[in-house]
Amino acid sequence: MIGKAPRWIPIVVGLISILWIVPLLGIVITSIRPAADTVLGWWQLDHIELTLHAWTTVWSKYPLASGFVVSAELAGIATIGSMILTPAAAYAFQFLRFPFRRTLLIIIINAFVLPQQVVVIPLFTLWRQMGLIDNLASVLIPYVGLSFAWSIFLVKNFLEDFPNELIEAARVDGCGPISTFFRIVLPNTLAPVFAVGILQFLFCWNSLLIPLLFLRSHIPLPVVFAQISGMYDPNWDLRAVAAIVTTVVPLLVFLVFQRQFAGGAMARSGTKD
Amino acid sequence: MTDATQAPVSGSGVTTSSPVTDSDRRRLAAARRRRWMADMPAAYLLLAPVLVLFAFSVVYPLIQTIWLSFWDIKGLYPPKFAGFGNFVTLFNDATFLRAIVTTLLWTVCTTVLSVGAGWGLALLCSLAPKATLIPRVLIFTAFGVSEAVTGYIWLGIYRPDAGGVLNALLSAIGLGQFAHPWLGDANTAIWCLIIAYSWAQTGLPLILIFAATQAVSRNVIEAAHIDGAGPGAIMRYIIAPLSLPGVRVALFINLLGSLRAFDTIYVLTGGGPVRTTETIGFFMFRESFTQFKLGYGAAATLVLLAAVLIISIPAIIQRTKEAK
Repeated sequence: MIGKAPRWIPIVVGLISILWIVPLLGIVITSIRPAADTVLGWWQLDHIELTLHAWTTVWSKYPLASGFVVSAELAGIATIGSMILTPAAAYAFQFLRFPFRRTLLIIIINAFVLPQQVVVIPLFTLWRQMGLIDNLASVLIPYVGLSFAWSIFLVKNFLEDFPNELIEAARVDGCGPISTFFRIVLPNTLAPVFAVGILQFLFCWNSLLIPLLFLRSHIPLPVVFAQISGMYDPNWDLRAVAAIVTTVVPLLVFLVFQRQFAGGAMARSGTKD
Repeated sequence: MTDATQAPVSGSGVTTSSPVTDSDRRRLAAARRRRWMADMPAAYLLLAPVLVLFAFSVVYPLIQTIWLSFWDIKGLYPPKFAGFGNFVTLFNDATFLRAIVTTLLWTVCTTVLSVGAGWGLALLCSLAPKATLIPRVLIFTAFGVSEAVTGYIWLGIYRPDAGGVLNALLSAIGLGQFAHPWLGDANTAIWCLIIAYSWAQTGLPLILIFAATQAVSRNVIEAAHIDGAGPGAIMRYIIAPLSLPGVRVALFINLLGSLRAFDTIYVLTGGGPVRTTETIGFFMFRESFTQFKLGYGAAATLVLLAAVLIISIPAIIQRTKEAK
């Protein structure tokens, strides 16, 4: 700010942000204090002792390790799938001519408004008929399929500013439409493709409804965690550890890539940045 | 030499300096048609996996949801065609009608609270961008936490025993008589959910609107400052009006998010007590996947879809118009 920014502003904003810090801090503190000391609240100071007891015992109590593996698998595969398929489709929509091009484009990019609830009932019956319930594919297919609505929009927006001269030059030099994509367009589209990857990773890792319905024995972390916190369970210290384990990976990714995330969220809403 | 090199890549906007004759135009049109056909195999090759996956996970389920909504399906009994029966039942079902009211209350309150708080904070931060970086990041952090975990965090705040933050806070400031089983009471549970969800969703409006205010040129603000405008006037006449596009985007994103919300409700109350915190997006889950009334659940889902489409009309029109 120019000249004198009122001194009270950072103080007021800082005080307000306490409302957001304290609950997050509470989880971390609960996870490193003995359960007996926090019965009257994690903020009690009469007996201070730090322990990693919850951190070491939680793994045998809850299936967190396997949940972590499943989450990593699902989010990883779905992210790679979207990152590979999206730029090819966005390129085709932007630079190639073919029948029904605009119709298909309009249908796909407008599907971003659909809530997950609209697709889960038919998918559930379909997977049951196909014997895919509890198969990771039952979750991966909708993860990747639903992502195209916003990911193609995001990458195609980027390609609208792509210099046409480069494409024409490639064609003059004898590149067909597919090699033009792999040699010219793809290497220059990595920024939006990474943005797609980050968004997709976060959505898939945090997703609850779809894996809750379609998976039984291999369940990802949010489902494990929802089951733990759904039942009456006095182990607040163990569940605090489980909460941190559930969210630490997407949270770190989120914090490191904040800028891409905000831009991508705008693209999802139909606004260009 | 292929025709592709002569035809304009964009397929439109042909400009030549010399007058264009009819035969030129015909030749160009023919070339464009040939290009159109030449691209087709490549285009569909690149698009094939996308179209297949999209058909599987969006087109088929959407059509099938509509189709299922006309059927009466109870568990494993053979389905009976019901026409609009499911919808008639829905609008005579007290639980569903309450879910509509809950959805309206939930959607409006969470959107207004989260965007309102984010907007207010963004405007404050815009006056001191550097000094407020850390609190901004901390508030945004809450938005990056998994929704299921957000639910657990607020469970710890609302829990009725001695470890509950809210009750402890109330007795600490001498209002112990207001201590309450917040989530167990049908009158307070929905408000608890609204506050928990808004808390998590404030970060995105804050960042989006803050970004919009930072797009205001320094020169404009400096000029206003030199002309004697104080922070209040700069805020009122320059920053606030220019933050409105950001507010519009944030409103739309959070509105859509609230309508489809599921995770926080599932973890915090599971729709209870006595189904008072079920939104339509949760009601369909309950009917379809715990009672296995798939047709009934599908009909409820279509009501949710109608609500989503109504608020999305401007965005859909904009996207369709800009789709080139």
